[in-house]
Amino acid sequence: MKGWRATIAHVCGWLAALCVAGMMLVTVADVALRWFANYPLRGTVEIVELLLTCSFFLALPVTFLRDENIVVDVIDRWVGTRGVSLLKRLSAALAVVVLSILAWQGWISAQDTLVFGDVTSDLSIPKIYYWIPLLVGFIGAALTAFVILLSWDADKP
Amino acid sequence: MTAGMTVATTGILGVVGLLLLIFVRVPIGLALAVSGTIGYAAIDGWSNALKMAGNVPFNLASAYALSVIPLFILMGAVASRANMARELFEASNAVFSGLRGALAHATIGSCALFGAICGSSIATAATFSRVAIPEMKRHGYEPAFAAGAVASAGTLDVLIPPSVLLAVYAIVAEQSLPKLYAAAFIPGFSLAALYVIAVSIVAHLKPEWVPRTPGLPLAKRLRASVGMWKLGILFFFAVFGIYLGWFSPTEAAAIAAFVAIIIAFATGAMNIYQLGDALLETAFTTASIFFIVVGAFIFSRFIVLTRAPTELAAFITGTGLHWLWILLAIAAFYVVLGTFLDEVSMILISVPVTLPLILQMGYDGIWFGIFVTVMCTIGLISPPTGMTVFVIQAQHPEIPVERIYLGTLPFLIADFVLVALLVAVPGMVLWLPRYFGI
Repeated sequence: MKGWRATIAHVCGWLAALCVAGMMLVTVADVALRWFANYPLRGTVEIVELLLTCSFFLALPVTFLRDENIVVDVIDRWVGTRGVSLLKRLSAALAVVVLSILAWQGWISAQDTLVFGDVTSDLSIPKIYYWIPLLVGFIGAALTAFVILLSWDADKP
Repeated sequence: MTAGMTVATTGILGVVGLLLLIFVRVPIGLALAVSGTIGYAAIDGWSNALKMAGNVPFNLASAYALSVIPLFILMGAVASRANMARELFEASNAVFSGLRGALAHATIGSCALFGAICGSSIATAATFSRVAIPEMKRHGYEPAFAAGAVASAGTLDVLIPPSVLLAVYAIVAEQSLPKLYAAAFIPGFSLAALYVIAVSIVAHLKPEWVPRTPGLPLAKRLRASVGMWKLGILFFFAVFGIYLGWFSPTEAAAIAAFVAIIIAFATGAMNIYQLGDALLETAFTTASIFFIVVGAFIFSRFIVLTRAPTELAAFITGTGLHWLWILLAIAAFYVVLGTFLDEVSMILISVPVTLPLILQMGYDGIWFGIFVTVMCTIGLISPPTGMTVFVIQAQHPEIPVERIYLGTLPFLIADFVLVALLVAVPGMVLWLPRYFGI
């Protein structure tokens, strides 16, 4: 992977990785404070949930870009390299449609959240913050699938 | 719904469509989402189907219970990079030295403990393929048997807590994770013991396949066994911390991952770049698993709408078939499923359909979790697509894949013995959770 795709994969991957580290550190801090100072960190669950959402959706476009989605490849031995390439392209087309629909439906629900001003119960984090990574992830993954669809060699996006 | 098409027909078409999409190489998460949404729309209209598909990812991705998965994966990714596998193998080898099949026993013991921490059968098999197979070959082991032992022992991780697969089952079947972990202890270590027995039987029947290695003095064995301390500590925090009431599963996973990083840095086994790699691997693995989870939940909404699981359960119990035949049919179904699906997909796709049937038969959801997980270990080493077998073949191309399958045969028999034990003695699953009062 080269050029701007590598840069996007690098940035999204590292942001997702930092979110994983954040989940671990926040949880450890909560346990440590609860044990040693009898002072649990308020809203740990909400922070972990937010970081989990960010981690998953930021890494999602990269899994498409790196072709890391789990597939059953028993058909490969019968269809040959060109057949595999064609099937990958068809999957990419399907992914563009499905991920765009998920992003579109997410957008509608996110707008409702924004209009009603939903917040979390403990830290009053606006729920829209949880929707933003979802939208970024689905739109990013749909665009990635589109790039794979258009690339000459579907094996190397 | 289309005129003339019953809900049951829609359900069947949905499942057929799903299998077809999976067969033509569509990513499993995507195939689940597509067939689930179209099936849902066929029954309840596009408006509701799209709304459902739009809400499932948000509800899932922000579910606290799911956070246990990346944290346990992180612990495994760190342990894999911190040389813990080799130290554990050397320690196990010293402990078993002198016995016929010592290296194979050591492989099973190390894979059981390392796999439990690592959480990935593929990673465990890949790691021990590099560590154990050359050592076994050097001591004159039959290469096919050495490869078969590693491929099979690599699957023990799915059953021995803390298992990522059990965490996935807990989410999809809405069962308690601490209860599942407690339930998995006896079957998990029983399977390891059955593998050890399988090695001993092969050593007896084919002594030329499993030569004797020289024994070490007791003092040396004791000294070497100290090499297990790192994984022992991680195991303590990740598993016992939950039962001592210290941590919730997510907290146990976070603490164990943190402790793994501290140990890796303190012993000089890891640098900051390797930690970065471990975090990146965790993020990508989690994303690919979560994508399947999202698809599976969309698909299960459709399956629930068809009422296929309850109707199937009512139909099967109405036939008056003996429960043993039904269980055998379910086991056969999982063997077939395991020949082409990975273990996470297998659980996510099948459990919404099979669990209601099992519950109606009077079995426990916890018992079924262990049963399904054992069936997954069988799928991982059975032809034509045993994944751990292919991982080993990729690293040792000189051993033909058919020979590796031959090498896994004694362990496959051990797997089926455990399945029979689970059916005959369900108490081996349910006793420990009851003992802990959870």
